Amino acid sequence: MARILIVDDSRTSRKILRGLLEESGHEVIAEAENGEEGVKKYIECKPDVTTLDITMPVMDGLEALTKIREYDGNAKVIMVTAAGQQNKMVEAIKNGASEFVTKPFEKDNILKIIEKM
Amino acid sequence: MISRLFGSYLVKEGKLTEAQLETVYETMRKVRVKLGLIAVSEKLMTTEQSDEINRLQAIMDKRFGDLAVEKGYLTADQVTRLLGLQGNQYLSFVQAIVDNDFLSMDEINKSLADYQNDNGFTATDMEDLKSGESDRIVPLFLPQNIVEYQLEHILMSIRGFIRLIDSDIYVEKGYISDYEEVQSFAMQSLDGDNKATMAIAGEGKNILAVADAFAGETFEIADEDALDAVAEFINCVNGMFATKINNAFDIDLVPPEYSPDGCKFTGKLIVLPVHVKGSVIKLISSFGEFINK
Ligand SMILES: [Mg+2]
Repeated sequence: MARILIVDDSRTSRKILRGLLEESGHEVIAEAENGEEGVKKYIECKPDVTTLDITMPVMDGLEALTKIREYDGNAKVIMVTAAGQQNKMVEAIKNGASEFVTKPFEKDNILKIIEKM
Repeated sequence: MISRLFGSYLVKEGKLTEAQLETVYETMRKVRVKLGLIAVSEKLMTTEQSDEINRLQAIMDKRFGDLAVEKGYLTADQVTRLLGLQGNQYLSFVQAIVDNDFLSMDEINKSLADYQNDNGFTATDMEDLKSGESDRIVPLFLPQNIVEYQLEHILMSIRGFIRLIDSDIYVEKGYISDYEEVQSFAMQSLDGDNKATMAIAGEGKNILAVADAFAGETFEIADEDALDAVAEFINCVNGMFATKINNAFDIDLVPPEYSPDGCKFTGKLIVLPVHVKGSVIKLISSFGEFINK
């Protein structure tokens, strides 16, 4: 079981993801709706795993990833992308993202990735 | 899509009632045409041969096609072709109408010819329609000479609808417009070497057909929660689109926008009405520039 922070501007996606995770016994300890809020929540809650949406207002997922990794070099971050966005994924890997999932969420895939971490 | 397009035409023309059409769709869901029946109707096998394979099938755990090949009644290529026909939605639709004794084959063919005339479809267009492939059908409902990338954006959205929202969607004639008044809407732009926007708009509760299916819940009104779900659906489509055209343009997703309050879209818009689970929504696309609101 992992303590998870969900960062996504879409409440639909947060809700779907929370549902999948909680159903499988994980604990969603906080949610944030943009990158800036996500960084704050990370520092506040020290989650085991953070999911970071890429396309968000105020601060996008890539910038938030950099900030989180500056604060905690061991942060475990799963980037969430709309299917595709490969160039963004390459950039995120360079910046220390551990894994990727694509929207719409596939339950088995997400759970496998979290197990692995 | 053809069973929905032609089905609604048959109702409009008074050839079928709404209830009969529903029965036809129900039959289609329950019955899949047997491969043997298709093989016989295509004159590749005799009824006796087909019956023989059916009897063998009852005692052996093998597929009809494989047994027919083993027996030397069909070649592997013929089986492939028959399987293609079996999946053909138009044929299943016609069979369901005939099996329910709603219309005869002749009456259906007559109505299909009328449908072709009324819509000005060519013989090739009709082949595209009967293929059941959305990529071949939807362009028939779009204005001519759409730029390649915009066409792909629209077709990709339709494939997204079929995959994530409703496999039975169908479209009406689309049009070009520089002004479109919308009620509730969600939209997302792509920016970079080029610009594009895809929007979904609907009157009243119509847009909930998309929101409910994507979010997997039932929204009561088209409020921000519901429109967020529509926006996230567009986000998924746009993500695939950005990836697909990334060798041509470096283009990136902008956070989506939505509102339950009406507004006016301006720009070089292509508007495509789409029937989703009994509701009509509008898919509104712009390429080369954003939709202004
Ligand atoms: Mg997002």
